[in-house]
Amino acid sequence: MTAQHDLESRLEEFLSAAEDERQKPFRELTTALKDSVKAERFDEAAAVLRRATLPSLDYTSLQTLYRIFALLHCRLASPKQVARLAIMSSFTTKQLTQLIELFLFAAGVAAEIYEADYGVFHQEILDPDSGLYDFKPKTLFLATSWRDLLHTPALSDDLHKVRTLVEAELAHWSSLWEMVHDRLGCQIVQNNCASPPWRVLHNHELRHPGGLARFVSEINRAFVDHAPAFVTIHDADHLAATAGRWSWASERFFHHAKLPCAPEYLPDYAHSISSIILAQLGLVKKCLVLDLDNTLWGGVIGDEGLGGIRLGQGDAEGEAFQAFQRYVRDLRLRGVIIAVCSKNEEALAREVFEKHPEMVLRLDDISRFIANWNDKASNLNTIAEDLNIGLNSLVFVDDNPAERALVRRFVPEVAVPELPADPSEFIRALELHRYFQVVSLGVEDYKRTEYYQTNAARREAQASTRNVDEFLESLQMVARIGPIDATSLERSAQLINRSNQFNLTTRRYSVADLLAFTKSENWITRTVSLADRFGDNGLISVLLAKLEGEVLLIDTWLMSCRVLKRGVEHFLLNHLYKVAQEQGVNKIRGEYIPTVKNGLVRDHYAQLGFKQIGTEEDGRTSWELSITEGFTPRRVFMQEMRTNG
Amino acid sequence: MDDLRAAVQVIFRDVFDDPEIALQENTTAGDIEGWDSLMHINLIVAIEKQFRVKFATAEISGLKSEGQNVGSLLQLLASKLAPPPRPVK
Repeated sequence: MTAQHDLESRLEEFLSAAEDERQKPFRELTTALKDSVKAERFDEAAAVLRRATLPSLDYTSLQTLYRIFALLHCRLASPKQVARLAIMSSFTTKQLTQLIELFLFAAGVAAEIYEADYGVFHQEILDPDSGLYDFKPKTLFLATSWRDLLHTPALSDDLHKVRTLVEAELAHWSSLWEMVHDRLGCQIVQNNCASPPWRVLHNHELRHPGGLARFVSEINRAFVDHAPAFVTIHDADHLAATAGRWSWASERFFHHAKLPCAPEYLPDYAHSISSIILAQLGLVKKCLVLDLDNTLWGGVIGDEGLGGIRLGQGDAEGEAFQAFQRYVRDLRLRGVIIAVCSKNEEALAREVFEKHPEMVLRLDDISRFIANWNDKASNLNTIAEDLNIGLNSLVFVDDNPAERALVRRFVPEVAVPELPADPSEFIRALELHRYFQVVSLGVEDYKRTEYYQTNAARREAQASTRNVDEFLESLQMVARIGPIDATSLERSAQLINRSNQFNLTTRRYSVADLLAFTKSENWITRTVSLADRFGDNGLISVLLAKLEGEVLLIDTWLMSCRVLKRGVEHFLLNHLYKVAQEQGVNKIRGEYIPTVKNGLVRDHYAQLGFKQIGTEEDGRTSWELSITEGFTPRRVFMQEMRTNG
Repeated sequence: MDDLRAAVQVIFRDVFDDPEIALQENTTAGDIEGWDSLMHINLIVAIEKQFRVKFATAEISGLKSEGQNVGSLLQLLASKLAPPPRPVK
């Protein structure tokens, strides 16, 4: 057995072990990992360590993995994505910080971390010469708790008084956020308050104006209602509630070491924070791929038939499967793409969706339906290709351990959560991983799955017209164009952080960065939204350009692949040419930075009539369009509507 | 007590990531490299999990204070593991 094979099989034994039987395979895995570090097989060890870092691991095991990570990480080539994170708190964050670092590493992101001394976050924020401003983070995590609230009411305060206290508290925190944002332009992750487990007023605590739990919940509500777009409110209260408030808020470890919660819940806490940072970097999953038999219903449709499978009312397990389907449908409604990958006769499998009265999921919920006898690894490849997304955007859910092991082995990019035998635990098993973390939700998200359906209608229309121009004409497109504003800010950030294919430079920017661009006189920002007779595609293209003397330099040009070949890029070029004239520059410059995924736009500038002016060793090319030499606008098939431009 | 010491030694080796650690009754925090307040918590968590016991707030701090050693830890642990005294008939 080769060393690499040994490490891989140790990993699989560990990943497939039930949670209460993980100790032995874990020990063997960590021994093998340490051996491979000693043998200087760093990359291999890192790959396995990443996949072993599960949010379901206990505190002690994750500490062991962290120590292996600490041995390793300086020996690795630095990953492409870096999270520059400052953590400031009123409690001990040492362990929390280590675990955040570990979970970010597991997702392929290097963390550069500044940890302020415990309890000095006010000074750090107020003092312009503090370590915080010297470090210049991209994200600041304000790890606070209810103990940091400055305006907690007295029991005798009436409703009116408490209202002014809530306002004063909110004003205090808002001023801290704004100060940091003005000086650094960074994103802020602000804890809300986990309500303490005790209530001196017991049941009356929420109703009495001066009750502490009531005040805490009002503050939490005020935070989410009034936090600006550059502040993400981290729902620490939910962590405490799902764990059980007494177990979570360990008073023992708070008094002993000022830990924010019991050590056993630190992994979940750190995972929650790292999932937010990853979502801000655009590293979320996009598609849930489901097996059918014993995953969406009980039993095997091929053996037991429509009447034999267990699903829905009258059977406890059948109800659990139905509840899981409802959860999946709700994920779809908020924009997660759903696909099916099953070993089945296709007609039989489809029939369940069409005819079974207790099915919650219907065929039109499923963006790609594959039921055949091929191996699931190649089917997953097909699904990723057809949906035009990366394998690392897929989460594969299957009750069969052998299928899970096969997929992990042959398509390691796909996330494959362990699934408990009992369907009533499926939802929890998925939730634990926070695969589909959300930092903002726009209309675009819950419309997304509709795009996939209207796209099918467009494809039919294409078949019935004779040439491309005629087809484009028939779409009756309307393009809305304008600078990034409050309504388009979050969607723009989302596209900037998620688009990989039609993306010339793949530069990632946060909401805070974009806000800074919109305020700067040197930056031109544009978004394009596109509607046609089949529906509204929403915001589909972002362009950022910088004025540098006589040159307008295109920093970022990207577009959603939903609207390829519609001529949006020609439309945008015509617009940009006008902007360049208005600004009085004489050249537009653009660059192409190649990545594994953006081969699609290699010739983008050539096709738009730019002249190539440079090639670097790493493959990047630069291009130029003269404004003074005359320009024939491209023919476009869309009507232009300007928004506040 | 030797069985208990051997079991606790396994935990120490895991937590401190040092397979060479050999525990004696008179081993103190100063004798083990890296036994700081952070590692102390890791140690307590690992011991509590393994033996399904719970240390009181004062015991957690006490175990690392002046004059305490592995012997005192083992004694405390043994007292928590001992079956409750039988009621006198």
